[in-house]
Amino acid sequence: MVILSILILNKAGGLIYQRDFNEGLKKLSSNDYLVLAGTFHGVHAITSRISPVPGSGGLEVLESDQFRMQCFQTLTGTKFLVFAEPHQPNIDVVCRRVYELYADYVMKNPFYQIEMPIRCESFDRHLMAYIKPKQ
Amino acid sequence: MSNLHNPASPFVPFSPNPAIQSGVASPTTPLSISQKTPQLGSSNLRYASSRKSIYDRHLNRTQRSELSKASFAFLFGEMIQYAQKQVSGIQDLEKKLNIQGYSIGQRLLELLLHREGRSAKRETRVLGILQFVAQTVYRHLFGKPADGLEKSRDNEDEYMLIDNDPAVNSYISVPREMSQLNCAAFVAGIIEAVLDGSLFPSRVTAHSVPTEQYPMKTVFLIKFDESVLERESVMPNN
Amino acid sequence: MPIYSFYIFDRHCECIYVKQWLERERNSLRPTTSSGASIINSPLSGAPDKRISAGTIADQSLRTAPGRLSVQDDAKLVFGVVFSLRNMVRKLSGPEDNFVSYRTGSYKLHYYETATNLKFVMLTDVKMSNLRVVLHQIYVNLYVEYVTKNPLSPVEHPGGEGVAVELFELGLDRFVQTIQEA
Repeated sequence: MVILSILILNKAGGLIYQRDFNEGLKKLSSNDYLVLAGTFHGVHAITSRISPVPGSGGLEVLESDQFRMQCFQTLTGTKFLVFAEPHQPNIDVVCRRVYELYADYVMKNPFYQIEMPIRCESFDRHLMAYIKPKQ
Repeated sequence: MSNLHNPASPFVPFSPNPAIQSGVASPTTPLSISQKTPQLGSSNLRYASSRKSIYDRHLNRTQRSELSKASFAFLFGEMIQYAQKQVSGIQDLEKKLNIQGYSIGQRLLELLLHREGRSAKRETRVLGILQFVAQTVYRHLFGKPADGLEKSRDNEDEYMLIDNDPAVNSYISVPREMSQLNCAAFVAGIIEAVLDGSLFPSRVTAHSVPTEQYPMKTVFLIKFDESVLERESVMPNN
Repeated sequence: MPIYSFYIFDRHCECIYVKQWLERERNSLRPTTSSGASIINSPLSGAPDKRISAGTIADQSLRTAPGRLSVQDDAKLVFGVVFSLRNMVRKLSGPEDNFVSYRTGSYKLHYYETATNLKFVMLTDVKMSNLRVVLHQIYVNLYVEYVTKNPLSPVEHPGGEGVAVELFELGLDRFVQTIQEA
């Protein structure tokens, strides 16, 4: 499984984590990533509004010719966006695992300020160890 | 999220503090509640079926009970944040953590010796007490012995206790501007108290020595007091 | 597998055709057609009971259940979503990449864009496989045949003028029927 990139959005739609793992997506400026995160946050809310059937949640999987993105929103409103190569199954498992790592190495870190950008060395390390050997 | 469990509990219930029993402590402590309003047994979260608090149990009963690593991580995180509010520098913070650990170590030594029962003996040699720390104390706290015990080449009075991945630090990422900090200073405090309590006065500090394989590797530097070395030198077979 | 609705947006970002096959609570499977805010000049639109044509916006909002948006507002939101996602996709992986589809827990949106910047959008059940080919066929076999080649149809379709013609609608209905049954 090739994971291209992972983004984490806080509940206000602010980007708190961005990391590329493989070539495939263009490298944007940090400002562009922030704009992108904000846009997606809004789009995500609208996608549940325009549902033709009642009770739909927001966007879960986005597909394009060159990638597939899985969005996992936690009950607390944090969003995990995992970009992978097209037609990759089971990315939701990756999302869950990243959430678990986030809960462990970000939320249990006494030096992390909630809703702020994630700068946790052990989170990086464990994320790397989880994503990289999958190829 | 994590369901990790430490094989052994870092914190075990200690013998009840007489001050609490005499009702000096705030009325919110479970013990005083059970004394003042014994009919309040509807919440059986903290009480055994006998309606007695964990402090009334025999000390050996919870010997092998386990504790959630996650709940410890949250508690320890709060302890660090609490300490951080009261200090100005990294050294101060480590000192605070050391003190927090120290009071645990004092009680822990008592408990461990009590549990050893008749076979318990008072360690009189430096190596003996270090083995006690690396084996018994460490096994009790973290469910595994320490990863290494070394003698300093440069200084006669210094020993190094090595932990490749301290359980207390597993979820902690120290920010770059505080890179000197190692929160295992808390464990250093426990070790220091055990050594002090066994009449090996010493100073214990925690230092991060990251390696490729063990990025969280921590060395506890144990510096014994002069009196310890003096005593050691007059001991037989030395 | 149910198909919920179908939209066409022109290159001026305007919605020129909407069709919803929503299963409303009381009158199930009664199709609703609207095209912009204009009155459809399709002969069928007058047929009672068979088809309800979109008259005015007020007309529309009367029929929508409470809490639901009017068809026009829905179309605007759909356009906003596909437009943002299309731009997001291009920003992330270059102008040659195309936004294909997205799905939520309960519906799936399919997207197809022609070289002339027409945007075809279809909302279906989650389990529907990729409909890009289908949308392309609607464009080639229905839109080009019955709308573009129609000598009476204007070049541009402000307010949906000339899109909702009888042949196109009939063809679309029949086509969607076959997909739903497949």
